[in-house]
Amino acid sequence: MSRTPAVDTTTLIVSMSPHVRGSLTVERMMGGMLLALVPTTVVGVYVFGLTALLTVALAMATAAAVEAALELLTKRELTIRDLHALLTGLLLALILPPTAPWWLTMTGAATAVILGKMVFGGLGTYPFNPPLVAWVVLKLSWPERMSSFIAPFTGERVLTPLMAFQEDPALFYAYDLWDLFLGKAAGGIGMVCGLAIVIGGLYLIIRGIIRWHIPVAFLLGVGLFAGIMRMINADLYPPVGFHLAGGGVLLGALFLAPEPVTSPVTPTGMLAFGLLAGILTMILRMWGSDPDGTFYAILVMNAATPLFNYLTPRAYGERMA
Amino acid sequence: MGIVLRGITLPKKYSAPLELIEITPPTHVVLPLIQHLGEPAAPTVTVGQKVKSGQLIAAAPTDRSVPLHSPLTGTVTAITTTFSSRGQDTEAVVIEGKQIKPKTKPLPAPSTLSPAELTVAFREAGLLSPGPFPAPLIREILGPEQSGSRLSLSGTRLVKRTDTLLVSALDPEPCLGVNRYLAGIVSEALAVGIAALKTISGAERVVIVTDANLPLPAALRAIAAADEEETTRIIRLNGRRYPTGLPIPLIKAALGREVPLPYGRPRDVGVALCTVSAAVSLGETLLTGAPPLTTLLTVGGAALSRSGIVEIPLGTTIEDLVDALGGFTREPSKLIIGGPLTGFAHYDPSVPLGKDAGGLFALTEEELTPVGAYRECINCGRCVAVCPVNLVPGMLSMYCAKDRFEEAAAQGLFSCIECGCCDYVCPSRRPLVHFFRHAKHQLMEAES
Repeated sequence: MSRTPAVDTTTLIVSMSPHVRGSLTVERMMGGMLLALVPTTVVGVYVFGLTALLTVALAMATAAAVEAALELLTKRELTIRDLHALLTGLLLALILPPTAPWWLTMTGAATAVILGKMVFGGLGTYPFNPPLVAWVVLKLSWPERMSSFIAPFTGERVLTPLMAFQEDPALFYAYDLWDLFLGKAAGGIGMVCGLAIVIGGLYLIIRGIIRWHIPVAFLLGVGLFAGIMRMINADLYPPVGFHLAGGGVLLGALFLAPEPVTSPVTPTGMLAFGLLAGILTMILRMWGSDPDGTFYAILVMNAATPLFNYLTPRAYGERMA
Repeated sequence: MGIVLRGITLPKKYSAPLELIEITPPTHVVLPLIQHLGEPAAPTVTVGQKVKSGQLIAAAPTDRSVPLHSPLTGTVTAITTTFSSRGQDTEAVVIEGKQIKPKTKPLPAPSTLSPAELTVAFREAGLLSPGPFPAPLIREILGPEQSGSRLSLSGTRLVKRTDTLLVSALDPEPCLGVNRYLAGIVSEALAVGIAALKTISGAERVVIVTDANLPLPAALRAIAAADEEETTRIIRLNGRRYPTGLPIPLIKAALGREVPLPYGRPRDVGVALCTVSAAVSLGETLLTGAPPLTTLLTVGGAALSRSGIVEIPLGTTIEDLVDALGGFTREPSKLIIGGPLTGFAHYDPSVPLGKDAGGLFALTEEELTPVGAYRECINCGRCVAVCPVNLVPGMLSMYCAKDRFEEAAAQGLFSCIECGCCDYVCPSRRPLVHFFRHAKHQLMEAES
C-alpha cells in the first residue's frame, strides 16, 4: 500500500465548527446598499444637475477621509474596506437639500462619522443612525440652509410638498401624486423619486441584505394612520399616497430605518419598531414643527431599540412554569 | 408533513453523493475505549494477545458505556492513548491483523425472541445515539422498567412513558449521507431492526422521517405497508434544510414536541430516537449473530479525489483511510471528523474513526472561510432568524466575548445545541459556536 504523501500537520487548522460558512459578509451588505442607492443617486443628479453630484462625491470622500484620519490617530485598523463610511456619506448627501453648500456637506459628513459613529467605537456600536445624527445637527445649526429647496430642472426656489402642506393643508391638491413618485416635486437629493428608491429597496430585500419586516411595517404604519385621517376628513387630509411618496418616508423605510446596527434583532421587535416609527412619523407630520417627521421618528425609535430587543421569541424547550 | 423550523437551507454543493466507494480494508485499527458521553469501556484483552474478528475486547460495565469488539483477526499490539473523534484523550486498544468475516452460530429468527433476549443482543451491538454528541443508544431507547433506572441521562425523572419510536433516515447534517444511503439499499435488516427497537423501547407507534428530496425508499414503503395495525407513519422532510437532522430539532419538526432544554433528552418527551443506520446495525446483529465490526462514513472535501460513502473497519485511522482512497490530491487545510457543520477538526492524522465518526472531510484552504478575523456584531439579526432553539445568538456572543458568562447563561446559553447556523450566516464572521463552547466550559469549570 502506498503511504500518503506526508502532510505537513503543522499547517492543519484546528478550530471550532462550523467549518464552512455562507457568503454574506459586512462588505457585501454595505456594497449591496451602495449599489441599491445608485438609481436614487442617478435620478437626483439628473434632476438637480452637477451640483448634486458634487455634494454626493464630497460627502462620501469626507466621510471616508475623516474615518481614516480618526483611525490613524487612535492607531486602530483602517476600516475603509468595509464601505460603511462611504455608505454613511452617500446616505447623508441624499437627505441634504440640493442647494447645500460645500461646507455644509463636509460638516455633515464629518459629524456623521465622528459624532454618529466613531465616538461609540465604530461599526456595530453606535446607538443612532449616523447620517440622521448629522442631519439633526445641521438642521439645528443652519435651519434655513437645510430648508431651502429648489424645483427639479428649473432650479427655482420652492417649498417641498410637505412644507407647503404645513403652511396650508389645502395645498396638497396642487400636487399630482405621480409627480411626487416620479421625481417632479422638490425635496432632498435622494428623496424626490420614489420609484428609484423602491427599485433599490426591492433589490435589497430580494438579495436578503435587509429583511422585509421593518420596511413593510413602517409603510403600514404610515399608510394606516394616513388612511384613518383621510377617512375622518377627506377635505382636510391628503390621500395615503401623498404621505407615502412625499418627503423621506420611502428612503426612511427602505434605507434608514432597517439600518442593522440601530434596529432591533428579533422579527417581532422589527415589526413593532417599523410600525411605531411609521405612526410616529405621521404624528410628527400632523402636529410637529418639522414638515417631515420621518427622520426624527427614526431617531426616536433608534433610542428605543434596546427595549424592542426584549421582544424575543420564547426559547425552545423552556419549561413552562 | 412536519413543521419547518428556523434554520438554513444549504446549497446543493453541500449534499453528500450517495455512492459507495470500494476500498481495501486496513490491517491496523485503533479502538478508543470511550467514543461517547458517559464512561469508558473496560479492556478485556492484554498486549500481545491473539484476538479473533468479533471477539469482545472491552466490556461495558453499565449502560453508560458500550462494549467493543475486534474488527480484525490478529494481535493486540498496544494499549495506548489517542484522541477520540471529539478530541477527548482516551485509552485505546491497537490491533494488527486481517479483516475476516467472524464465524457465528445461526440465531433463531428475530421475531421469535423475547424483549429480554432482544435487549441482550441490543446491548451487545454497542450502538450510539445520533448527532454530534452521541450517548450509548441503549440509554436512549430502553424504557424505565427495562433499564432499571427512573432517571434519564439528564438526571431528570422520567415521568413519561416512551410512546413513539422515531427512526431518522435523515443525516445529522446534509453533508453527511449514511442514513439516506442505507435507507435506499437495505431492506431486511432495516425492517428487523425497527421491529426490534419498537419492542425494546415499548413504543406504540413508529414514525420514520425521510428526505423529501429523494424518492421514498422502497424498503420504508414496504415496512409501512407490512404494518397491519397502521402504527407506522412516514414523514418526509427537506433533507437540505439544516439542522432538521439533529436530534432536538428533528423531534420538533417531526412530532411537534419540544425536548426540555437545557440537558433534556428525547426520552423526556416520550420519544425513543434512533437512525436508520442504528436500526440496520441492530438488524444485522440479530440476523447474523455478530455485532457490527464496520462503520459507514461519508468522505468528502476537495483535498480528497473522491467523495461518497465508504465502509471501514471500526478504528481505521484517518491516514489509513486517506491511503485507501488514493491519498490527498491537494494540500488539506483542515481534517474534520464528522461533518463540516458540526464536526471536530483534528491535527493528527493517526486519530481513529470510531463508532461516533459519521464522516471524514479534508477541506482545502479555498473551501474554508478565514478563521480568527471577525468584527463587532452589527445587530443584523440574521442569527435570530436561523436559531432553531429561538435564542438571540448575537447578544449571547457579546456577553461571552466580554467574559460575562453568567449573563449569557441567564439568556439561555445552555439551551444552545451548537448547530452552528448562527455562525454560518453571520456577516461579521463571528465565531459564535466557539464563544458558546468556551463560555459553557468556563462556567462548568467554575462549578466543579
